[in-house]
Amino acid sequence: MFHWLEKRPFFLGILIFLSVSFAGIVTILPSFADIARPTVGTKPYTVLELAGRGVYIKDSCNACHSQMVRPFKSETDRYGIYSLSGEYAYDRPSLWGSKRTGPDLLRVGNYRTTDWHENHMLNPTSVVPDSLMPKYPHMFKNLANIDTAWAEAETVRKVFSVPYNEPLIQKDGTYQSVKLASTIEEARTDALAEAKLVVADMKTKSVIDAVERGEIPEIVALIAYMNSLK
Amino acid sequence: MNDKLIMSAVMLAIVIFSIVYAVADQYIGDDTVNILSIIAAGAIVGFTAIVMIQYLNQIKNDHATGELIENNWDGIGEYKNELPFGWAISFVLTLVFTIWYFLSGYPLNAFSQIGQYNEEVNIHNAKFETTFENADEETLNDMGESIFLVQCTPCHGVTGNGIDAKAADFRTWGTEEGIVNSIVNGSRGLGYAMSEMPAGLLGVNDAKAVASYIMAEISTYGKTSSPELIEQGKILYNTCAACHGDDGKGMYGTSADLTKYGTSAFVIDVLQSGKKGFIGTMPTYRVEDQVMTPIQQRAVGTFILSLSK
Amino acid sequence: MDTRTLEYDYTVSKWFLITTIILGIIGLLIGVIIAFEMAYPELNNLFGEYGTFGRLRALHTNTIIYGFILSGVFSSWYYIAQRVLKVSLHESHFLQIMAKIHYFTYLLVIVLALVSLLLGITTSKEYSEFEWPIDIFVVIFWLSWGIGIAGLVGIRREKSLYISIWYFMATFLIVAVLYLFNNMSIPTYFVTGAGDWYHSVSMYAGSNDAMVQGWFGNNMVEFVLTVPIIAMIYYFLPKEAGQAVYSYKLSLISFWTLIFVYFLAGGHNLIYSTVPDWVQTVGSLFSIVLILPSWGNAINMLLTMKGEWQQLQTNPLIKFMIMASTFYMFSTLEGSIQAIKSVNALAHFTDWIPGHVHNGALGWDGFMIIAAAFHMAPRIFRREIYSKKLMNIQFWTQTVGIVLYFSSMWIAGITQGMMWRAADQYGNLAHSFIDTVIMIHPYFVIRGVGGILYFVGFLFFAYNFYKTITLGRKLEDHELKNVSPMATV
Repeated sequence: MFHWLEKRPFFLGILIFLSVSFAGIVTILPSFADIARPTVGTKPYTVLELAGRGVYIKDSCNACHSQMVRPFKSETDRYGIYSLSGEYAYDRPSLWGSKRTGPDLLRVGNYRTTDWHENHMLNPTSVVPDSLMPKYPHMFKNLANIDTAWAEAETVRKVFSVPYNEPLIQKDGTYQSVKLASTIEEARTDALAEAKLVVADMKTKSVIDAVERGEIPEIVALIAYMNSLK
Repeated sequence: MNDKLIMSAVMLAIVIFSIVYAVADQYIGDDTVNILSIIAAGAIVGFTAIVMIQYLNQIKNDHATGELIENNWDGIGEYKNELPFGWAISFVLTLVFTIWYFLSGYPLNAFSQIGQYNEEVNIHNAKFETTFENADEETLNDMGESIFLVQCTPCHGVTGNGIDAKAADFRTWGTEEGIVNSIVNGSRGLGYAMSEMPAGLLGVNDAKAVASYIMAEISTYGKTSSPELIEQGKILYNTCAACHGDDGKGMYGTSADLTKYGTSAFVIDVLQSGKKGFIGTMPTYRVEDQVMTPIQQRAVGTFILSLSK
Repeated sequence: MDTRTLEYDYTVSKWFLITTIILGIIGLLIGVIIAFEMAYPELNNLFGEYGTFGRLRALHTNTIIYGFILSGVFSSWYYIAQRVLKVSLHESHFLQIMAKIHYFTYLLVIVLALVSLLLGITTSKEYSEFEWPIDIFVVIFWLSWGIGIAGLVGIRREKSLYISIWYFMATFLIVAVLYLFNNMSIPTYFVTGAGDWYHSVSMYAGSNDAMVQGWFGNNMVEFVLTVPIIAMIYYFLPKEAGQAVYSYKLSLISFWTLIFVYFLAGGHNLIYSTVPDWVQTVGSLFSIVLILPSWGNAINMLLTMKGEWQQLQTNPLIKFMIMASTFYMFSTLEGSIQAIKSVNALAHFTDWIPGHVHNGALGWDGFMIIAAAFHMAPRIFRREIYSKKLMNIQFWTQTVGIVLYFSSMWIAGITQGMMWRAADQYGNLAHSFIDTVIMIHPYFVIRGVGGILYFVGFLFFAYNFYKTITLGRKLEDHELKNVSPMATV
């Protein structure tokens, strides 16, 4: 049979194609719907948090930091409860990462604070001596991309029915909804209000002044995102 | 020259593996994962070396034989030789292993990593939680230091000094001096119903006296570095009783319980509630969140207070 | 047997070959830079935000994979295909144009990629970082290659397809599918009218996105870093050595089982994550099964050299290819064993994994492309290779570099994995994360040194190549049979 195939590239190609399709169909499709279901307590990101996620992606934080707590005692002792599939339901794309040059960040919002991040991002060795993480002074000057963050949130709401503006049940039984403004101008205002809350705990003058002026430096958005990782 | 080449390659493989083992040895312990990983590392280097040597040997000492197929491509011919026996057998064995694994070892429809995790935790709890239920002070201190170094140092520093006021300085916090600080500067963020303790309720000298009284007579800590100030402190304490109660117990949880002050119980309160203080925000380390067990909290408390002694 | 001697058209093969070398230099240089940035963080801030590890890492991976390696693959395709199909590009004006479109769109993608990645325009998905506008150009150059393949195969004289052609065909077909599926995204500007026009959001979310990415990443490793390189060794080794391939049967079974099984191993990137347990088990198990098809090809190549020890001693090209086969065996065994659940529990997220990556990338891919270049250069440029001695120096320098790289990463990764798991006598974590960083630092430095050696070796290669095409002795037809002519300078 193979000699026959080797003279007929078209059929060879088809068989190659079929050989590899098997795996994708058998492994990815069956659980596709199941593992996409959000867990109780998972909420979509606010625009400011999404902008912060955008900073995280832009500077490839995922290249050194993972966001996946595996079910080992040594992991859960260090990072918190092991990950559940539904927690990542609104992560597009997922930022699981494949390397821990630095620690896992999935639940960093539980044990690091705004002011700690402020110190750490500007000068990592100021809070972690011997750290090999680079400094990120540009995040204190560059402005976060709020417009694109809103575009992303609005896109996933429209295309994938991500539940913005809908009451979502939380772990304690209460309902919370994540607001998404319907216009970009309103979104900018909302993001600024949220940024002001973050900046209330910060000490860097240039950042505080910027927010006063109505601008949102990348670091503020990034911290909002990190704080949301619980 | 070339046998030497093979020998040096083999020596190199052995050397590399030995270095890996030597460095990692101290961490292996009785952890199965660690043991399997070291074996795996050895297997990778070992199998590759063994198989390579075999084939290099054939390159050296054997010669090409076999019947050529009719065709050739740009001068390249192909033999009709059979599959190498060892290779074919190994292939079949891996398939057999796979079938066994799917059906019996880690059955596709039954293995659960969460189940494996729960088992791990149960074993751990059985081993540790009961053993250290009634640990003595020295053990708690030792345990606490270990936990502190992993969980608390990023904000409080390796020596617990608060890294230039980025967090609480344990050389003074939780001590008599710490009370003086709280009175002079105020305190907030522990989530009490009475909310913020205002600053400057008493002057520094008065604060010292009150601190002395609190440490000696209110707190279960039971002693002070300045016993001569106790009397004066007792009188001045009336300022404090308004919120903390005459007994210092904190008015049914609406303010801080000073009877715990200076003991690990006070530290545990902070671990449970977190603190959004003047310096910054401290996250919670609650038992309910499975972040720390009660014994771990006591251990941390013991250790932190030891930092000021 | 056709006795007419064809004149092959190596124009585009030549262009890709030169591009391979240039992109190899750039990709390796960036690799050395980021290796030292990891050891000495101050280096990150020399060029503002553009020089940070975060920006440069994607630049390194993409320049090496889509730049150096893919360019080498394309150069080899345009060389090998004509010869084993017994047809010349001169015979089809259309195919010649197609090849040129292929080259220039490819070059455009490289340039766009360099610029956009430096600016931080990225999807964050590994080896899939390009945003959708660049993806469109990737599709264009990929399709133009495919049309070229179909066209050349269509007008071939040699009816029976040689092994290398199966592998090249598989590369084309499957990467097309992989790339399309993994890069599916919705451009946000067109849905909302706001934000950056080039920004998009992934079609998949959470665990599904990770599964598709895992399926993609694993199979890109197969179909870009393995399959086309196998295509190359099946041509260049027997041709250079003047030997027949050991066993047709072995090549046949290895081909089909390789492409079938590799796809099932994709779950091994996601072990102990939140994808279903059974997917992880499938990934883990088939990674073990995968060892045999991979080794099958390597063994076939080694056995092809039966009795040819003296060629291994005297021909640096053969040395490169035998060493490439060795590293291929080593890294495929390494990867498969790292996919065993218990080993993965330790290895995942540690430096043991980059160690594995670079065994394959530097040892297998790098060496094979270098060998291919050395074989093609005399035929394409009709010049004798400038210095055999320099080839040997290069070989040893680079081999030492690879050994330093993977040993340092093995020590670093395994120790780090164990330290993360370690508990003290009270059952609490024994080491903070920073403890592991302090431990690992010297190994980061050693790895950087290994990288420098490999890079320096590559510079020797580029120099040798340059001297060959400008100063090498011009060659006659009869000198171009098997062993590549090398000056014993």
